[in-house]
Amino acid sequence: MAGVAFLLLIEDDDAVRTALEMGLTRQGHRVVTAASGEDGLKLLREQRPDLIVLDVMLPGIDGFEVCRRIRRTDQLPIILLTARSDDIDVVVGLESGADDYVVKPVQGRVLDARIRAVMRRGERESNDAATFGSLVIDRSAMTVTKNGEDLQLTPTELRLLLELSRRPGQALSRQQLLRLVWEHDYLGDSRLVDACVQRLRAKVEDVPSSPTLIRTVRGVGYRLDAPQ
Amino acid sequence: MNDPAQPRSREGGGSRERGTRHGEGRPPRRPAQGGAADKGPNPQQKARSWFAGVLPTLRLRLVVVFALVALTAAVSASGIAYWLNRDAVLTRTQNAALNDFRKSMEDNAGSLPRRYDCRQLRDAAEKMASTSQNYEVILTGEDARGLICTATSDQDAFTTSDVPAELRNAVAKRRPVDVGNSHPYHLYWQRTSDGGGSEPFLVGGAKMIGEGPTPSGFMRKSLGPERDDLNSLAWSLGIATGLALVGAMLLAQAAATTVLRPVRRLGDAARRLGEGKLDTRLKVSGTDELAELSRTFNKAAESLENRVADLSAREESSRRFVADMSHELRTPMTAISAVTEVLEEEQDNLDPMIAPAVQLVVSETRRLNDLVENLMEVTRFDAGTAKLVLDDVDVADQVTACIDARAWLDAVELDADRGLMVRLDPRRLDVILANLIGNALKHGGSPVRVSVRTEETADGRGELVIEISDRGPGIPEEKLPHVFERFFKASASRPRSEGSGLGLSIAQENAHIHGGSISARNDPSPEGGAVFTLRLPRDTDARRPEEADDADGGTAESGGNGTAGGEDDGRKDGR
Repeated sequence: MAGVAFLLLIEDDDAVRTALEMGLTRQGHRVVTAASGEDGLKLLREQRPDLIVLDVMLPGIDGFEVCRRIRRTDQLPIILLTARSDDIDVVVGLESGADDYVVKPVQGRVLDARIRAVMRRGERESNDAATFGSLVIDRSAMTVTKNGEDLQLTPTELRLLLELSRRPGQALSRQQLLRLVWEHDYLGDSRLVDACVQRLRAKVEDVPSSPTLIRTVRGVGYRLDAPQ
Repeated sequence: MNDPAQPRSREGGGSRERGTRHGEGRPPRRPAQGGAADKGPNPQQKARSWFAGVLPTLRLRLVVVFALVALTAAVSASGIAYWLNRDAVLTRTQNAALNDFRKSMEDNAGSLPRRYDCRQLRDAAEKMASTSQNYEVILTGEDARGLICTATSDQDAFTTSDVPAELRNAVAKRRPVDVGNSHPYHLYWQRTSDGGGSEPFLVGGAKMIGEGPTPSGFMRKSLGPERDDLNSLAWSLGIATGLALVGAMLLAQAAATTVLRPVRRLGDAARRLGEGKLDTRLKVSGTDELAELSRTFNKAAESLENRVADLSAREESSRRFVADMSHELRTPMTAISAVTEVLEEEQDNLDPMIAPAVQLVVSETRRLNDLVENLMEVTRFDAGTAKLVLDDVDVADQVTACIDARAWLDAVELDADRGLMVRLDPRRLDVILANLIGNALKHGGSPVRVSVRTEETADGRGELVIEISDRGPGIPEEKLPHVFERFFKASASRPRSEGSGLGLSIAQENAHIHGGSISARNDPSPEGGAVFTLRLPRDTDARRPEEADDADGGTAESGGNGTAGGEDDGRKDGR
């Protein structure tokens, strides 16, 4: 599925929806569109797309709410499309479970690059496994188990865990993680990393507020430790 | 038979009088810049400015005026009292002594035989001196043999040389008897002092009227006791004057305080108003002039507040308009941008007649996009909603990436050491660098020099200094202060296609939000060119809410990596 994806575009403005659909289709993606959050959720159940591009400002239930509802059941990647780059919106979007965001007016090729980067996160690369305490990361099956139970991780969370587990005990800066996981350029928004680490901790740590696996290294970034 | 002359008062040259100047004031001093006084303000104004110069505060002025009034009143009252008293005391003493002298002379000198000798004269003098009035006496006259005989009651204390010559002459002078003058001789007196000038005396003299060579008598009485009395009176009056002065000054202080307290309140209120606290009002009590002033102040403050509120409401609405407008522009811009990319990719397949039109649409759309983006950025700064997204970054990497991303690597000479970690918002640093370097390339041409270094600051936290210099013609000195203004262009004739006119302003705002600054100057060296200096604190003082939440204990972790172990972003280690 690398490169070409089956996308669900949820956007209320006709012109933007049409233009983005046109642009994304030309990039080789298969696109279905919805004009409201409710329609989008219905299409998600019917069509099972690979990825969702979601406008924040929607009539009825807004993008953040749509995002939260999707996350209850699905771990597919979500890219937020926000007209407001006011920082608080970005933070709310990331907390509601989005993997990435782009700010309008977005350039088609930027959106395309983000889509491809998100899609690549689910790709498997090597055939080994690593164990960190009760956490087992199976790189061949692309699964993570904690105490034998499967953890539902989004591709982004999984990729973040994989990148951290590849260099155990070594601190990775947020900018490094943005390049490795999100494939962002040097201007990546470090809050993406922080938000994703929070979500990942909520799933893999025994006590998320007092993490023993994914530790913060002050002034640097994060590192994955095997618990003593 | 012998009539001593009537006392005729006369105050002589030897008498010592106390002088007291009344209403003593400061002589008006001309201002130092005397030359200007000729053509300058009228005398009243000059006096006022002089007054203000010598007495700078209202309190001092009040005190001085009160003191002057009290001094004038006290000094004139005591002066008059002193003079009246002095006159009364001296006249009484004098009259008593002179009357006694006359009577005694009548009794003693008058009872001398027609022909007397020196011994008799001396007896008479001693008898005359032995009265309760306590004066010394000299009697002179021709004795029986026709010789001048001078008899003194006290040889050491009083001699003829103590009698002023003019008194002697006046006594000896015979005046023709007529209607206005019933006697040929009179009694004369004079106040003198002894040689040292310390002891005042009354000296009187008379000549017996009669046939033949009648004797003349002189008396001298010390006025020391009277002088002592008057001196103590003067002292008392002086002390009373001093007390009045002190009392007046205390009163002036009290008056100044009652006047000045409202004045100070007014001053404080005016200062607060000046500091922008426009809701400052004074409590008005009473109906005096100060209350009126307070009322006027309140009215002025109110109208000022209304006016400022009105203005800021208008400014706010115009800002909101720009913000809303740029916001509204975004949605159509998104659609247009997405479509123009499609058009751009299809350009080669288009009709050659249409391709340039498409190219124009594409490039202008991009410009419009940038402009809307910049407008959004500016409105965020204006509204104060711009936030920092801080991260620890390697500055050299960041600068290199910024240059690389814009394909400026060949045009920029970078002087930066790797490994310099600074806590800042990388996106905003990129905006600043892109604008400054882009500006330098546009106006100065390549190569542009970018140097990165750190400097110690007074607070010990250090700052990051990035200098961007070009070899261009520089910026005209008079334009330097304006280069960071919005839509400012150094040259009016510059083609409009060169940027939005917001770039440097946005760069400056981005520096400010970090607590840093950008300054512009011209390089004085022969190569010349403009130099923009960006200064940012090494550790921008802001904490990220996300981090604050996930501070995960582990004291062993701080500094574990070593690259930035010393940094403190406000989080607490351990729990």
